[in-house]
Amino acid sequence: MKAARLPVLALAVAAGTATPRPARAATGSIRGRVEVMRELPAPPARPSIGELAMPSPHDVPNRRRSVVYLEAAPQGAFEEHEGRAVMDQRHETFVPYVLAVTVGTTVDFTNSDRTYHNVFSLSKPRRFDLGRYAAGQSKSVRFDRPGVVRVFCEIHSHMSAFILVFAHRFFATTDADGRYRIDNVPPGAYTIVAWNDGEPRETRTVRVGEDGGVVEQDFVVR
Amino acid sequence: MRVAALLAAALASSALVAGAEPPAGPRRFAFGVEMSAAVGPEDRGFFNFTSYADSTQRLARLSLTAEWRVAERVALLAEVRDENLDRPRVYALYARLRPWRERSFDVQAGLIPPVFGAFPRRRYGSDNPLIGYPLAYQYLTSLRSDAVPGTESDLVVTRGAGWHVRYPFGWGHTDPAPGLPLVNALRWDTGVQVHVGSGPFEAAAALTQGTLSNPRVRDDNGGKQLSARVAWKPVVGLVLGASGARGDYLSGALVSSLPPERRGHYEQQAWGLDLEYSRDRWILRSEAIWSRWQTPMLARSLGALGFTAEGRCKLVPGLYAAARLDHLGFTHIDGPRGRVTWDAPVWRTEAGLGYTPVRHVLAKVAYQHNWRDGGRVRETVLLNAQLVLWF
Repeated sequence: MKAARLPVLALAVAAGTATPRPARAATGSIRGRVEVMRELPAPPARPSIGELAMPSPHDVPNRRRSVVYLEAAPQGAFEEHEGRAVMDQRHETFVPYVLAVTVGTTVDFTNSDRTYHNVFSLSKPRRFDLGRYAAGQSKSVRFDRPGVVRVFCEIHSHMSAFILVFAHRFFATTDADGRYRIDNVPPGAYTIVAWNDGEPRETRTVRVGEDGGVVEQDFVVR
Repeated sequence: MRVAALLAAALASSALVAGAEPPAGPRRFAFGVEMSAAVGPEDRGFFNFTSYADSTQRLARLSLTAEWRVAERVALLAEVRDENLDRPRVYALYARLRPWRERSFDVQAGLIPPVFGAFPRRRYGSDNPLIGYPLAYQYLTSLRSDAVPGTESDLVVTRGAGWHVRYPFGWGHTDPAPGLPLVNALRWDTGVQVHVGSGPFEAAAALTQGTLSNPRVRDDNGGKQLSARVAWKPVVGLVLGASGARGDYLSGALVSSLPPERRGHYEQQAWGLDLEYSRDRWILRSEAIWSRWQTPMLARSLGALGFTAEGRCKLVPGLYAAARLDHLGFTHIDGPRGRVTWDAPVWRTEAGLGYTPVRHVLAKVAYQHNWRDGGRVRETVLLNAQLVLWF
């Protein structure tokens, strides 16, 4: 939790520190793959000591999904987006486990289970508690401050997820193969970070040339 | 030893299941810790004292829980507790078995969670919105399992003194000792239980060594308790439950010391109704428990009715308010000065706030007001605080 708070908050502080380039220069892309080699321990779960039966089976979140982002975004890149995103609750799991959005985005927390869920967060960037609501219902939260928001369900203690709120658009979530791509990056030198399962794991420096193009940058998270 | 035998039997059956079908994934352990500490003024009326002679309002507890998923459908569970730096006690130790993958049918054996009612399966610190327990699950009446009143006068003189019961004209132990609650939520019983679920319905039944008011590891009277609960969830968020239990509660040593014509089986019988409704930021819960104890030296059984209703409302993220209303009433006896209840009726209101600054930490403050129609201290007001850490 401690480490989870730090990196994206730093984004806001670092606004405009990347090397500025002429506004009309060609833009480039940064792409690559994040290979998660580290052992991902089973998500913590409390013993079901007071139950009269085996707990109902639930899905296991995909914790290999990572987020790659520029630590210091280009000047002028900070703008608010009125976007929407969805974090579903399905088989007692938040889907996706990691959601990356920009400031100003409203996230819909849908409930696709047949039981109650109660989404809440005590993270500083956005504290909220949606209360209990049933299947087929959805409640929404708007995220107005950058940072890492840890999300839980009050009823099912094994449920947790991350929402990374960025003050810029230079980030990408890896796909099922671990691949990512960040487009429209102005020329310049950047620090790029691979974030996985609660922490920034790897940091690299990349340079996008004056003529744009594609920069390859892979990460291995151990 | 009997616990060990039960566990061995459960493990033997679980080995059959495990042998027939190896676990799908790696074996899995889960561990849990709950630390809680409640502080406040002394409860001079002993309204909150438990069978371990501790007050729930001034209680430091360390609870360690573990679950070992031996196979896909077999688990071993245990909980060890230490309260007020006393000696650690095994609170739970049982095996859980689901014989058929596709059926919601489970068997648990050992030192098992109670099937009766709804409150005892909640965790003391993190699942209890307040600091105190409902009266029916904690308050000590003036009945004992190792001594019986010889006359109605014995009960009259002990009215409202359940934490320190001695019958001047009674049978059995003569040293003062804590009395029995209606249902003891501080200890679990030993035995075997089955649980069946089907759609909105679920049912559980258990055969155990002790009784609701006196759970036991070892049988001390040759009688078993049968308890059961059925629950119905007609809509999401609403649970309606009905429970029943009966079993011998007096110790065998006490019964054998009685006059020959009085020896026999003396039961505690109990019935319970429970309700829970939750929606949005609210949880409402209520329970009613009727208990009756047969006594060898008195003409009539002794009855008690416990009623509790509680609500919790979240005010802002991390902060909630909660309140509980409680009453414990007793049936009448004919005492030397007329008709009175055999123990002093009790009322309790408790209200408080809970604040979670970060997950795994819960701080509570609660105001509790107790009244009792009898006893040396008839009213107490307590303002307590509790800190709970859980992982």
